[in-house]
Amino acid sequence: MRRWTRRAFVGAGVGAAAAASAPFVLTRRAVAGSIVGASMETAHRLRARDFPPPSRRIEVPVAILGGGIAGLGAAWRLDRSGAGDFLLFELEDSAGGNARSGRNGVSAYPWGAHYVPVPNAESRAVLDLFRDLGVITGADGAGRPVYDERFLCFAPQERIFAEGEWEEGIFPRRGASREDLDQLRDFGQAMEEWRRKEVFRIPLDLSERDPEILALDRVSMEEFLRRNGWTSPRLRWYVEYGCRDDYGCVLSTTSAWAGLHYFASRRGPDPADGGTPVLTWPEGNGWIVARIAERLGSRLRCGWLVTRVAPGSDGVRVEVFDAARGDSVEVACRFAILALPRFVAAHVVEPWRASPPDWMPAFTYAPWMVANLTVDRVPAGRGFEPAWDNVIHGSESLGYVVATHQSLSTAPGPSVLTYYRPFTGPDPGEERRRMASRSWADWRDEILADLSRAHPDVASLVRTIDVMRWGHAMIRPAPGFIWGEGRRRAAEPLGALHFAHSDLSGLSLFEEALDRGVSAADSVLRRLR
Amino acid sequence: MTLALYLTVFLIATCGLVYELAAAALASYLLGDTVTQFSTVIGVYLFAMGVGSYLSRFIERDLLGRFVRIELLVGLVGGSSVAALFVVFGRSGSVRAALYPLVGAVGILVGLEIPLLIRILKDRLELRDLVAHVLTFDYVGALAASLLFPLVLVPQLGLTASCFLFGCVNVAVGLWSIWLFRDFIRRPRRLALQGTAALAFLAAGFCLSGRLTTAVEGRIFGAEVIGAVSSPYQRIVVTRRDDDVRLYLNGHLQFSSEDEYRYHEALVHPGLAARPGARRALVLGGGDGLAVREILRHPNIESVTLVDLDPAVTGLFRDNEILSRLNGGSIRHPKVTVVNADAFHWVGEARDLFDFVVADFPDPSSYSVGKLYTTTFYRALARLLAPDGLAAVQATSPLSARQSYWCVVETIRAAGLRAVPYHAYVPSMDEWGFVLASRAPYERPERLPDGLRFLDEAGLRSIFEFPPDMRPLPVEPNRLDSQVLVRYYAGEWR
Repeated sequence: MRRWTRRAFVGAGVGAAAAASAPFVLTRRAVAGSIVGASMETAHRLRARDFPPPSRRIEVPVAILGGGIAGLGAAWRLDRSGAGDFLLFELEDSAGGNARSGRNGVSAYPWGAHYVPVPNAESRAVLDLFRDLGVITGADGAGRPVYDERFLCFAPQERIFAEGEWEEGIFPRRGASREDLDQLRDFGQAMEEWRRKEVFRIPLDLSERDPEILALDRVSMEEFLRRNGWTSPRLRWYVEYGCRDDYGCVLSTTSAWAGLHYFASRRGPDPADGGTPVLTWPEGNGWIVARIAERLGSRLRCGWLVTRVAPGSDGVRVEVFDAARGDSVEVACRFAILALPRFVAAHVVEPWRASPPDWMPAFTYAPWMVANLTVDRVPAGRGFEPAWDNVIHGSESLGYVVATHQSLSTAPGPSVLTYYRPFTGPDPGEERRRMASRSWADWRDEILADLSRAHPDVASLVRTIDVMRWGHAMIRPAPGFIWGEGRRRAAEPLGALHFAHSDLSGLSLFEEALDRGVSAADSVLRRLR
Repeated sequence: MTLALYLTVFLIATCGLVYELAAAALASYLLGDTVTQFSTVIGVYLFAMGVGSYLSRFIERDLLGRFVRIELLVGLVGGSSVAALFVVFGRSGSVRAALYPLVGAVGILVGLEIPLLIRILKDRLELRDLVAHVLTFDYVGALAASLLFPLVLVPQLGLTASCFLFGCVNVAVGLWSIWLFRDFIRRPRRLALQGTAALAFLAAGFCLSGRLTTAVEGRIFGAEVIGAVSSPYQRIVVTRRDDDVRLYLNGHLQFSSEDEYRYHEALVHPGLAARPGARRALVLGGGDGLAVREILRHPNIESVTLVDLDPAVTGLFRDNEILSRLNGGSIRHPKVTVVNADAFHWVGEARDLFDFVVADFPDPSSYSVGKLYTTTFYRALARLLAPDGLAAVQATSPLSARQSYWCVVETIRAAGLRAVPYHAYVPSMDEWGFVLASRAPYERPERLPDGLRFLDEAGLRSIFEFPPDMRPLPVEPNRLDSQVLVRYYAGEWR
């Protein structure tokens, strides 16, 4: 013991010397990493239309264009319904869209969407998919679905860093005033009331269409909070966190209807427990992507850019560019499902290329930066134990998610932290330019500075930081958009060409994307028969 | 004379910084959070030095005499400061209340030194040279201390002895000043006598510091520390007082050799003796080999697989003489295979079937250990049970952690297994609870192995009876997504 003690003292002495000099000499080791990401160069060629004419021709009954959750959902539905003769074209070298994921020697990790809340009873497509994938293993006595425990997020789910310490949950109670807590309670009760009335549903097109409630869409969340006297800075931060988290918007740029949908639409199996349980995997929703992609086999074509889509009376002519071979292919199909966002569709759909549709400006998208940090161990920090979702009060980021949280291991070990940062400025184009101008070193410094507020030792734990920039990560549910004319008209099919993407819902949610894909597939199935 | 002056300044500066560093190092050792401890100790110390410097203006007469007395006092207080803090910590388990007053006192005394010295010497040297040289040697002394402290003092002497040594240096400076200025000081002899007494005290402290540290560390654990290892997973401390050997993991008592037989006999035999045909046994956790020792009492057992996360624990209990005597050399026994692996992973991947399983994990005091008490874990464990296999699960105390105990019972039932709760009294721990989990019904064994010290046939009847204060409470089963057990346990076990 004595020898051990002395060694510990030397350690303390040396550690203290290092700590004392830290502000002057950065003793942290070099962090590796790079900016990785979406194939911006290839995609931007769409503007220049710089592609060779088709040199080959493929015929297929159905073509699915875009391999995000909407496209994969359509493919899954067609496959399950015995209409398996289709091809799915995806620009990136792997499918998934916002649900793409990565893997390194430590863990798999998400590059974007990382969980699905336990679905409501009306979310039929999600429930069907989860039964099919074995996420739902059966039903309990009351007929409610039973989930595989490995996929339900383990406790503790969330913690927040406020006033120098971590605490459980996501509302910063530490240092909150009486008034803050009273307003939080009022807000919570109001949301509970909305939830009980089942006004807000998923997919959102099933929601109650009472004009008084739909009118909330034309008001901002900011205005809605003010009307209700919810002025507490803590409560406003908490509500805005939700808007930033799901929509990439701030209070003033989020529709109140969308804001309420965030807080009042999820009627998990046991609302008495507080929050909704969520399903998650180390690679986030990339797990679902991989399960669907496995079934598609060679029908999933990655590295193909859709360059032209011409709907006709008896089918659709599609041109795709094979980035690997550098040539173009003409795909002739009876039906096509365009599972791409509007800002891409406007560049490829024949009638729209000539004259952009008038609804186009209503569709705006928030940019995001997502970083994956490989760490020697999950940083603990003062106070409550590390959770799955770790939020820093007052930060511009959304905090980080721990990829190894669903590990059954009890031993501490290396991990991957996925760090999320939405760019929420009023002008997304300006935000995209801001994001594009930053170097990897800028991101590294910004991320470490942000995290070190809660974890002073974080720089010494980080081995690599990889950064992905999402120029158009999420459709923005700006006031007036969700229940406006544009969204409805943009979703109408053009002959044999059907549309499926979460931007047609106005909310960038897994459930919306899947439902859009499944619904489009159902429409095609009806017409095929 | 000038050289002597500079040497004095150099030495007192060195001493001053050593006390400061020692207090900060001790605080971070005992309290953790190095940055905070060093910052606050240094801050309080520097501030106190400022207070001392201010107070120096109130010393008007007999500057030399006062200076000498301050030297003696700094030596005494600073030199014994770490030992004093150790003693306080050993007695009360907390050190903060004593730390800052002590650091403040030393700081005030040290802060008095330089202003007094400058005033003493102001008539002998030009002010310009005086200030320049005094401050130069002051800072050089600080540098010397900051290098000596981590490189020589702490590794060679330890913290307590280092402080006593520099206390001696401080007092020696005082004595030397008495001799140098013997003509200017009132009653130099009496001062010299006081100085010598202080020197003797500090020298004695220096010589005894090794024994003192052990005694105080012993008091922290209540016994002599005979082995201590820090593994990547935990801090392992083994203590002994007379014949009582105890194992602590992260400060939590795991067993006392005085009564561990009660715990391990109760853990193993009610289950294993009920399956006289059992051949293959599995022990999860329990790297001390004590449960294995009890299992090996059954001659029908052909193999025991011991799965423990920490090779440092199994290694210690295999190689340490005292500890391997305690488990009867069970870890080296030819029937025993040791696997150092994470229990949940191992159970998930194992393909063998076992007739008897022991799940002897630390109490569910954190979310990571709590995973080993969930429905998912017990379902995985059930896969490894032979059709009439039995698992014995340690399940915290049904008396002190009643909800936690019955939560484990409920969780095993929710995982689709039969659960038979029982308990035994283990004085060093508490009234302790166990659960037998199985698919086939359980019946009490007819007979027990020979040589048991706690369980007999009559005892075997009583352990299944729960008095009213330990009876079931309504609880939720422990699931990975709720981990209610960790919340129950945190609420009950303070």
